[in-house]
Amino acid sequence: MEGYIGEYASGKSEVAVNRAIDLFNQGHQDVTLVDLDIVEPCYTLRPIKNELQSLGLHVLAWETRETIGLGEAGNVLRAENKWALRRDGDVILDIGYGAEGAKTLNLLEGAKEEENLHLLVVVNIARPMTATVNDIVEYVNGMGTVHGLINNSHLGDDTDIDIIQEGAQMVSQAAKRLGLPLVATAAVQELAEQMNWRDCMGNPVRGLKRYMPCTLW
Amino acid sequence: MAEKVIQEEKRVFMTGNEVVAWGALAANAEIMYGYPITPQNEIMHYWTRLAPKNEREFLQTEDELSAGFTTNGGVMAGRRAFTATAGPGNTLMQEPISMAEAMRLPTVTIVQQRGGPSTATVIYSQQEVTLTTLGGNGEGLRVVYSTATHQELFDYTIKAFNTAWKYRFPTFVLADGYQAKMRESLVMYDPASKGIEMFPTEPFVGKEGTPGVDREPGHFRNTYNVEEELYDVLQEHFADYNKMTPEVAEYKEIGSKESKVVVIAHGVVARGAKAAVEDLRAEGFNVGFFRPVTLRPLAVPELREVANNADKILVVESANGQMDRLLKEAIYGCSAEMLSLFKPGVGITAEEIEARVREIV
Repeated sequence: MEGYIGEYASGKSEVAVNRAIDLFNQGHQDVTLVDLDIVEPCYTLRPIKNELQSLGLHVLAWETRETIGLGEAGNVLRAENKWALRRDGDVILDIGYGAEGAKTLNLLEGAKEEENLHLLVVVNIARPMTATVNDIVEYVNGMGTVHGLINNSHLGDDTDIDIIQEGAQMVSQAAKRLGLPLVATAAVQELAEQMNWRDCMGNPVRGLKRYMPCTLW
Repeated sequence: MAEKVIQEEKRVFMTGNEVVAWGALAANAEIMYGYPITPQNEIMHYWTRLAPKNEREFLQTEDELSAGFTTNGGVMAGRRAFTATAGPGNTLMQEPISMAEAMRLPTVTIVQQRGGPSTATVIYSQQEVTLTTLGGNGEGLRVVYSTATHQELFDYTIKAFNTAWKYRFPTFVLADGYQAKMRESLVMYDPASKGIEMFPTEPFVGKEGTPGVDREPGHFRNTYNVEEELYDVLQEHFADYNKMTPEVAEYKEIGSKESKVVVIAHGVVARGAKAAVEDLRAEGFNVGFFRPVTLRPLAVPELREVANNADKILVVESANGQMDRLLKEAIYGCSAEMLSLFKPGVGITAEEIEARVREIV
């Protein structure tokens, strides 16, 4: 069980979606992806729910026609999502942004007792609030219990290897100061291949296929 | 004030709302007054995160009427003040903005357009053009910049403060929910590093000395006793506005003055229009592109040149002709035929625009 948390627009959902697909492709039969963002209406799993389900994943997310007042007020947590941690197989949580977003976890049955739930903070150093080692350390310290960091440093369509490697160095330093592992660097497939699947700090690189740009609304 | 907000030029990845908050910070804005409404909320969220670290202030008011009036008050006290709103919030804000227009207060308002009328949809439209350019019970003495990219959101948020304080007309950055929520990269910079000087602020009220003895008294009025008095004041305002117009009116174009068909679009729709025109030009079509950056005042002489040279003008907007009406006023009497692709409250793709142009060339 893994939960992805982090700064607004850090790439949490993209990393979570790709992680779920990777697990499924590695032969895991039961992979459930859970949308736990109950605030932000944009860039969530809702618009790609059916696409991801057709790939073989279980996706726990609202469908647009089921929502009420979407974007105007917060969303109600789906009953099925509330029980996500009691499901068999792999469970990947895509959690709302920031420290407040991370608190959505409190609404899940069994979240406090669940020992197998690993919370990973996704960090993009091109996000101004997490642009320095000090900022990252301060940010992660404000998130409550976490188990590791993911370097997802990028500039959208303008991403190059330099920003990813700069991120790898900075997030590694922050991880060291926090006493947490840097679990992986994430990069779009093409750049991951060019990096030979290792970042400059020796961390494994997870290849990303970008699903989220088409989920603006 | 604290040390420089942006120490060195840096490429960053952000949502449009965050860009506005950083742009305001870079422009030395001192206080934001605001009331929440989707899709502008993260301007407030990010401003409130950034403000304490940078010795800036924030006041959440009870509604948009109050947010607008407190912005007026902040400006009168000499603060570089701003607010942000959308949709029905923008409707309410027209009352305080009319007062700013009457009293020539350099307020800055960011509008992230959502669907209308009324509460409609939360995410996107270009249906606040009429309201933002000509709303209120005044004469539309405002400056309205319509942005298309995150880089422009940063650039024009900074510029809006300078335009407002230099010319003393309420100034707007008009974007939309797509721009607000979209993520893309941009370069943030310290304005001084680009040679941009921030036009100084000064208090309207509470100045030193006795009014009428040590200094001219300040008369900041939104009420007049007789019709002729108002008339005379407005003539001065119109003269100032007309004098300012050639200095602030902005546009972007591709081959618009020598093409037989010209596509006119603003804001985020202009991105699709530009892509469509570039595609068609690459195929050899005689098509041009014109994008008003300022919707008020418009670049009228340039528009008239376009409209006297082209056979057809295609106006594309996510509204039922709100920019179209402004354009028709500007090019009244010109020879081009006016055609339209209006999709009120709905996004318009480059492919749709390209298909429509193919029908009319």
